[in-house]
Amino acid sequence: MSELEQLMAYVDGELDAADRAAFEARMAAEPELAAQVAAHSALADQIGRTYAPALQEEVPLRLRLAAQAANDGGTRRLAPWIAAAASLVIGVLAGQAIQPPPLAVGGAVPARLALAKALDRDLAADPGPVRIGLTFRDARGRYCRTFESAQDRLAGLACRDGARWRLETATAWAAAASQPDYRTAASETPPAVLAAVDAAMAGQALDAAQERAARDQGWRQQ
Amino acid sequence: MDRLERAIVDLLPRLRRFARTLSRDMADADDLVQQTVERALVHRGQWRLGTRLDSWMFRIMKNAWIDESRARRRRTAVLAPEEDGANTGLDGAQALEARLEARAVADAMGRLPDDQRLAVALVLVEGLSYREAAEVLEVPQGTLTSRLGRGRAALLADLAGGAP
Repeated sequence: MSELEQLMAYVDGELDAADRAAFEARMAAEPELAAQVAAHSALADQIGRTYAPALQEEVPLRLRLAAQAANDGGTRRLAPWIAAAASLVIGVLAGQAIQPPPLAVGGAVPARLALAKALDRDLAADPGPVRIGLTFRDARGRYCRTFESAQDRLAGLACRDGARWRLETATAWAAAASQPDYRTAASETPPAVLAAVDAAMAGQALDAAQERAARDQGWRQQ
Repeated sequence: MDRLERAIVDLLPRLRRFARTLSRDMADADDLVQQTVERALVHRGQWRLGTRLDSWMFRIMKNAWIDESRARRRRTAVLAPEEDGANTGLDGAQALEARLEARAVADAMGRLPDDQRLAVALVLVEGLSYREAAEVLEVPQGTLTSRLGRGRAALLADLAGGAP
């Protein structure tokens, strides 16, 4: 082992007890060696601190969805709309107890998220980080809207439940690279979301005038 | 969700941390995590119960990253944009200092060759033993320690000027 390798092995806890004791005896006798050990320990601490915050962040929904996509023969099975709401409680929390996940299928979309603001305010043609696709009413009369969020890399369907938007289904999504500023959101809507729309929609999708009117009335059911 | 899927969900924060050592761009790093998770599920038959899931998935990520960075190098040599706000939990001068330090370290890490950066990340960020890290990288332990040594020496030299 070279001098540097021995020093590293000491700092990294790779020496056995005997070698460790021998190395510490040398450190006591050689201040230069002790200084090098201190520098290497400080570097290890610095590197640890640099990347530690990543562990505290909430994990994006799309990654949790990816981990739960059961794989059958290469095709990803996407939970149907109703089942998703009932069973995909995404906040499986071990390892991330710091904050509850802000966005979960079957849960309310927190008002602070850009997604909630877009669902509240945006019309189908509006530009922004979140694009609204279809707006329609479900069998219970709730307004529902499909969306694609470039920054969350997520597409889904949310329905208005009282004062909040409830996330009914969501799937990983990325804007097509060829047309980053796509206009026709519906053509981008992933099949899983379209399937959820088919299952939920009662009657026709709202046209632009109906969409605007519903928005202006705060999405209240008449 | 089965046991493997649940274990992967639990591992996501560490997979994201490891990915950050490879890509400065948070969205790219998360793309790498997603690719890794998808590959792991496709090849789930290769993982044996009772062996370390983290090592296995780090190896998948390493391979995905190498594939990706080969393609990337052909396309462009531009460095990913720096991410701000990684330490938003702290206040004032302390936060600024932490952010500057983190940026300097991440910059220096970014200048390391991939093989040295992987060795440093697995041992110093993820806390793997030399033997485990060598297995992830699929190299002999002597190769691992030599990469680790060169990476560390380069980082120390790089950070010597800017250290607080």
